[in-house]
Amino acid sequence: MKKRICILGDSPLVEEFAALCLNKGYTVQARLNASGAVGVRLPKGVKKILRPTKANDFALELTNIERERKKKNLIELDKALPSKTPIFSSSVTFRGGEQATWISHPDRLMGLGALPTLIEGSLVEFAPTQFSDVSVRDAAGRFAQSLGKESEFVQDSVGLVMPRILCMLVNEACFAMGEGVAVPRDIDTAMKLGTNYPHGPLEWAARIGPRHVAAVVSALHIGFGEERYRVAPMLQNAALVNAFRENRV
Amino acid sequence: MIKTVGIIGAGTMGSGIAQVAALARFEVVLHDVSAEALKKAMDRIKSDFRRSVERQKITATEATEALAAIHPRKDLHDLGDSDFIVEAAIEDLEVKRKIFKDLDQIVGPGVVLATNTSSLSITAVGSLTNTPECVVGMHFFNPAPVMKLVEVVRGKHTSDGTAKETCDLAVTMGKTPVVCKDTPGFIVNRVARPFYGEALRLLGEGVAPVEQIDRIVKAEGGFRMGPFELMDLIGIDVNYAVTKSVYDQFFHEPRFRPHPIQRQMVESGMLGRKTKKGFYSYEE
Ligand SMILES: NC(=O)c1ccc[n+]([C@@H]2O[C@H](COP(=O)([O-])OP(=O)(O)OC[C@H]3O[C@@H](n4cnc5c(N)ncnc54)[C@H](O)[C@@H]3O)[C@@H](O)[C@H]2O)c1
Repeated sequence: MKKRICILGDSPLVEEFAALCLNKGYTVQARLNASGAVGVRLPKGVKKILRPTKANDFALELTNIERERKKKNLIELDKALPSKTPIFSSSVTFRGGEQATWISHPDRLMGLGALPTLIEGSLVEFAPTQFSDVSVRDAAGRFAQSLGKESEFVQDSVGLVMPRILCMLVNEACFAMGEGVAVPRDIDTAMKLGTNYPHGPLEWAARIGPRHVAAVVSALHIGFGEERYRVAPMLQNAALVNAFRENRV
Repeated sequence: MIKTVGIIGAGTMGSGIAQVAALARFEVVLHDVSAEALKKAMDRIKSDFRRSVERQKITATEATEALAAIHPRKDLHDLGDSDFIVEAAIEDLEVKRKIFKDLDQIVGPGVVLATNTSSLSITAVGSLTNTPECVVGMHFFNPAPVMKLVEVVRGKHTSDGTAKETCDLAVTMGKTPVVCKDTPGFIVNRVARPFYGEALRLLGEGVAPVEQIDRIVKAEGGFRMGPFELMDLIGIDVNYAVTKSVYDQFFHEPRFRPHPIQRQMVESGMLGRKTKKGFYSYEE
């Protein structure tokens, strides 16, 4: 029997995960938060749904940007799915432990390090919450394996590991760009050739979507209350433009 | 037309830059105050060339010619015929300022005076010369023969012509120049700070241990090395010094604040690979 997965959340995370799951033999149903998003297309073969259905083996909640939207999605999944069906929910901007308190079956929720483009790597980062059942941890490992990925489990903390480091690199590159230290292309070239980064931070940000990057940095800012995590004005701007384009019908 | 490149300081960087310049068919005058440093540099360059010939990266003739083009000199005045100067002496503002002041009397008018400094202000280094418009940063990366990047740093007074000549020279040397303003850490040493800073914080907060952070950064992010492996390679003391320097120069901007773990590693003498112990152990 084919495994079935339901994916809700922000673009382009939903598209990325849907394409990968399809490719790995899942039956995929999905719904994007902003339906009028420009340039957004769910891969062929993905069933577009209005409401999540009961018959799913896993669910992914991939909202990083709007808290209320995420809460609604999670409550919807919690109601629709049998109580033991695991929900892997992106916890890079809202701590998994907090998300778990929004639903009736908090033990089934496992935090996930979901940031656009990171799924291209060979490892998925998970963060159990204080409620997560051990069986959900096992399920997370199996899920990653079914996608051909390794898994690592880290503590539930805003940004987790890779999204936090990466978004802070982008934020610093945006500060430097805003202060006119160098032109964007030279900043990218410098980081690739001077310290062997796989992509320049600014071109990487464009692929991730400035909105997601700004959401992570801003969540760190709120979470730690430290000036260190303030969002670079350039990143803030880019995120606004990004949001404007995505919400335009 | 640049024919002769004068290089000051024959340490790690100076000898590497000399090698690059000679292979790009420039005459090179390599100066150091220490005869021993000059000898070591020539030996290192010789053995490097020999290895390159063995690996068929260059021909034996190219190696012989390049080696013959490097002239080690103990007297700064021997740089008088240079068309372009790259200074790579020790990282000490007073030493560099003295060198640049002396160069005024030695080199011809309009000769570009470039410094390879990693952390000092180009504007400050050039401030004692009569020709601050000819002073520029030319920041190579270690090892200079391998790393493709050169940061061309424009000080407050650096002219367009000086910046352009420096970029052109970098290209002739087979490097990729990027232009940046004279600000702490330039591009790389500044933008890379969070790679180490956030990793140290994650460790300090107990979000994940050293090995796990490195595994995640490599497998999930596609980085060639994890932050802790890289700190061990660079030297935890060196990395800490760079962080502190950027932090101080930005008047304690919190984004650049060093982490107590770094300081403690330095205090414990665990500096990374060079001491066989850092975040990892390298003892056989
Ligand atoms: N090592 C690196 O990774 C690296 C990378 C980029 C830039 N830099 C910069 O390059 C410069 C040199 O660094 P290094 O690692 O090669 O140092 P090093 O210690 O290996 O070499 C410095 C050399 O300068 C010589 N010297 C000292 N005073 C002098 C003087 N008054 N005149 C002429 N020579 C003098 C010393 O004898 C020594 O041989 C520094 O400014 C450093 O910040 C270093």
